[in-house]
Amino acid sequence: MSATLFVAIGAGIAVLTGIGAGVGIGKATSSAVDAIARQPEAESKISKALLLGCALAEATAIYGFVIALLIILFLK
Amino acid sequence: MDELVKNLMAELNCDTAFTIPIFGGIPVAESVFVTWLIMAVVILLCAIFVRNLKVTNPGKGQLLLETAVSGIYSFFEDILGEKGKRFIPYLMSVGIYIGIANLIGILGFKPPTKDINVTASLAILSIILIELSGVLAKGGRGWLKSFAEPMVVILPINILEIFIRPLSLCMRLFGNVLGSFVIMELLKMVVPAILPAVFSCYFDIFDGLIQAYVFVFLTALFIKEAID
Repeated sequence: MSATLFVAIGAGIAVLTGIGAGVGIGKATSSAVDAIARQPEAESKISKALLLGCALAEATAIYGFVIALLIILFLK
Repeated sequence: MDELVKNLMAELNCDTAFTIPIFGGIPVAESVFVTWLIMAVVILLCAIFVRNLKVTNPGKGQLLLETAVSGIYSFFEDILGEKGKRFIPYLMSVGIYIGIANLIGILGFKPPTKDINVTASLAILSIILIELSGVLAKGGRGWLKSFAEPMVVILPINILEIFIRPLSLCMRLFGNVLGSFVIMELLKMVVPAILPAVFSCYFDIFDGLIQAYVFVFLTALFIKEAID
C-alpha cells in the first residue's frame, strides 16, 4: 500500500472531530432557543453565552482540521 | 492539486519582507511588518480622535468614541470585577489588535495572525498576565497554595493547565484564521467570481471578530479565576 493512502486515511480520521462540535453546538443552540422561548427578556444574555459556547466547541473541530492539514503537508 | 499544496506550504511559512541592515542584517518577517502597519494606523487614529475633547457640549465624534470605549470597558468590568480593573486596558488593546489583524485580509495583506509565531506570542503574553495577576492578588505563597484548590487531587491538572491554556488559545486563533484562509483559497479555485465575496463575509469578517472576542473573553475569565 502506498504511503499516500495512509496519509489520506489519517487526515480523514483526524477531521472526524467535527462530529463532536456539530453535536455539541446543536444541543447548545437547542437549549438556548428553548430558554429564549421561555423568557424573551433574557435574550441578550442568552445570546452572549451561546456565542461563547459555540466558539469554544468549534475550537475542538478546528484542532482536528489543523492536525489533518499538518498530516497532509508534512508527511509525504 | 500540487500547486495548491505548494501554495499552502508557501503561505504557512513566514517570509521575510525585508532585512534591517544593522548588526549584520536582521530579517523582518512579513507578519511583523503588517503588525507595524496596524500599530501605526491605530496610534495615528488615537492621536487624531483625542484632540479637542470637551467636557461640556461634546461633539458627535467624541460622543461616539465615548460610547464605544465605555461599552467595551463595562463589558470587561462585568467579567473582571473591581479587583481586575487594572488589566482592562491591556485586554482592550489586544482585542482591538486581533480584530484588526484578522480583518486585514480583506485589504490584501496577509493577516499577521496566520503566522503561528504571532498567535503563540499572544498566548504566552496572556498566560504570563494570568499567573502575574494571581501572584499580585494573592501574594507568592497564596498563589502557590491556590494550585491545590479546591482539592489536592486536582494539583496535577492545575499545573498542566498552565501549559494547556495558552496552547488552546494559540491553536484556536491560528486554526480559525488558517482554516478560513484555506477555504477561501479553495473557493477561489473553484468559483472565481461572486461566491467568494459572499462566503468571505462569514469566514473572514464574522469569524475573525468572534475569534478576537473569544480570545480576550477567555483571558479575562482566567484572570478573574486567578484573582479570586
